[in-house]
Amino acid sequence: MIDILIQAIFWLFVVLTVGSAIVVVFSKRIIYSAFALLFTLIGVAGLYVFLAADFLAASQMLIYVGGILTLIIFGVFLTAKIYGMTIPDQAHQRYLALLPVAGFAAVLIHVLFSADWNLLQSTAEPTTENLGKLLLTTYLVPFEVASVLLLAALIGAMRISRPREEDDDR
Amino acid sequence: MNITYNLPAIGTQLVLGAGVILVLLADLLTGKKNRDVAYQTTLTVLVLAGIICVMKWGSAGAGFGGQVFGDGFASFFNLAFLAIAFLVVFNSPNYLKRNEIDHGEYYMLILIAVLGMTFMSSAGDLLIFFLGLETMSISLYVLAGFHKSRARSNESSLKYLLLGAFFTGFLLYGIALIYGQVGSTNLADITSYLAGSANPLGGYMGVGLALLLVGLLFKMAVVPFHFWSPDVYDGAPTPVTAFMSAAPKAAAFAAALRIFYDPAISLGLPWDKTLWIAAALTITLGNFAALAQSSIKRMLAYSSITHAGYLMIGLAAGNELGASGMLYYLFTYGFMNVGAFTIAWLVNRRGEGNYLLSDFAQLGSRNPVMALLMSIFMLSLTGIPPLAGFFGKLYVFSAGVKAGLIWLVVIAVLNSVVSVFYYLRVMVIMYMREEEGLKDLEKAPTVAITAILCGLVILLLGLFPGPLLDLARESVLSLL
Repeated sequence: MIDILIQAIFWLFVVLTVGSAIVVVFSKRIIYSAFALLFTLIGVAGLYVFLAADFLAASQMLIYVGGILTLIIFGVFLTAKIYGMTIPDQAHQRYLALLPVAGFAAVLIHVLFSADWNLLQSTAEPTTENLGKLLLTTYLVPFEVASVLLLAALIGAMRISRPREEDDDR
Repeated sequence: MNITYNLPAIGTQLVLGAGVILVLLADLLTGKKNRDVAYQTTLTVLVLAGIICVMKWGSAGAGFGGQVFGDGFASFFNLAFLAIAFLVVFNSPNYLKRNEIDHGEYYMLILIAVLGMTFMSSAGDLLIFFLGLETMSISLYVLAGFHKSRARSNESSLKYLLLGAFFTGFLLYGIALIYGQVGSTNLADITSYLAGSANPLGGYMGVGLALLLVGLLFKMAVVPFHFWSPDVYDGAPTPVTAFMSAAPKAAAFAAALRIFYDPAISLGLPWDKTLWIAAALTITLGNFAALAQSSIKRMLAYSSITHAGYLMIGLAAGNELGASGMLYYLFTYGFMNVGAFTIAWLVNRRGEGNYLLSDFAQLGSRNPVMALLMSIFMLSLTGIPPLAGFFGKLYVFSAGVKAGLIWLVVIAVLNSVVSVFYYLRVMVIMYMREEEGLKDLEKAPTVAITAILCGLVILLLGLFPGPLLDLARESVLSLL
């Protein structure tokens, strides 16, 4: 009984993720896309919980849902006439593009079903403490490089988003 | 938790990282209208990093549990990145002031890009490699759009960002699949998995490695993943173009050698054929597109696609001569490109976006020294002996012959003959064409010094290729 319930919740999250992702891509109005993205990200966080990745699920909620998505939605709200704006979606060579996409999808699906997945036979336990330790011992260098990467992104974003060249004089 | 950190293994990176913060603070305190402090600090940091790199040459070994290597291979490439960055930064203020984009972020972003590249060349772990690649790319996206009042520069940045992000997706997917199969992102673990497995490319390993390769080929601008490079190179500020066409390409090849070069394991990889086809297409397509260009910047952009194709022969050959030839080639190619781009923007008289080959008219009489240097760069890019470009091609081509890629080398040699046409056309214009209303060149000492240094390096490394090739060979041996 409990297994069926877990299965049901899992598939609920799958449908939530994929279904709202389809809305994100195909919606004609940007505001619908933004809100649909909210449900996609929550769905992905739910899938992380099923993978026993509690820290990842929490950061997904905090950073993507709480931070980035809120920014996007506010950006949409505060932009004038955004509701009436239609997104140009006239794709060129739509049918030609289907060829490589279908080929790539076929390869991925083949891999998905043919490979034997290494399943971990362990009970779910909190990962946060171990992750924290690893980041400051084994993965110290990647951790520091990532912070330099973010610094570059930060400075670059400021450089690009300043309104006019004259305003650059500090 | 027992892990040896071995800080000397990332000595160069530590200096660069500290330098980034230093430049940021120096520019914050002294900025305003004056960028001299940021400029001088950047040059000092690059020189210091170079000194550390040479002092610790190949002796630092593995650090952080095999995640980074301070071996000869890393030192070789790091020195190349630092030298290219130094030359580009050295003559940048002139360009930046002329185009009124003289901002401190420029120097910082170049330093961060170099830092990313040094992590790519010394990566012993796919995680470090990926972070290095992204650190480099993010800085380059911004640098390409640094001239933000120009639409072309914005276009360049946006195209690079969108396509770069797209291909990063492939690359990361590949790394994830490899991790899924091996259970580790460490290159040593991956190599021993490949060596020990009965069916090394079974499961999702084959697809994972292929996707990883696709991501790298994009950064190298190899056909069919080249379409971004002419527009990005053309729109970016010219010193940035010079930097982009030399250093990131070398970094991508360095990472490819780190990940894929292992003659000890003969896997019968299906991409022996793939690399063959990609190399042949890259060389031919780049070459014939370069023929049709009237802008020197676009011509050099297509020529850099062709050169990536020549370098692919070394990768496809997969032997020691090919790898060491690639190191020699990449090192010298950086100097040729920086020199050529530097003279191109000095000669250009219609402003950004209008780099015409006809701007070079009468340069032979207007400024004989610059004309001579440009001739050296063009001849070296063609591969005329005794310049460095000749030996780079020679080593890579003979590695191809040794590995039995005869037809690929024949295609490459035939294309080299075709390339004589567009490289020599620049010289014909400089010495033989008459044009009205040409002024003398602006006095720009830093630019002249850069060009002279590049010319000297190419001439010396061409006349005495032995020492650098020996160094390249030693560096490749340290890879195993």
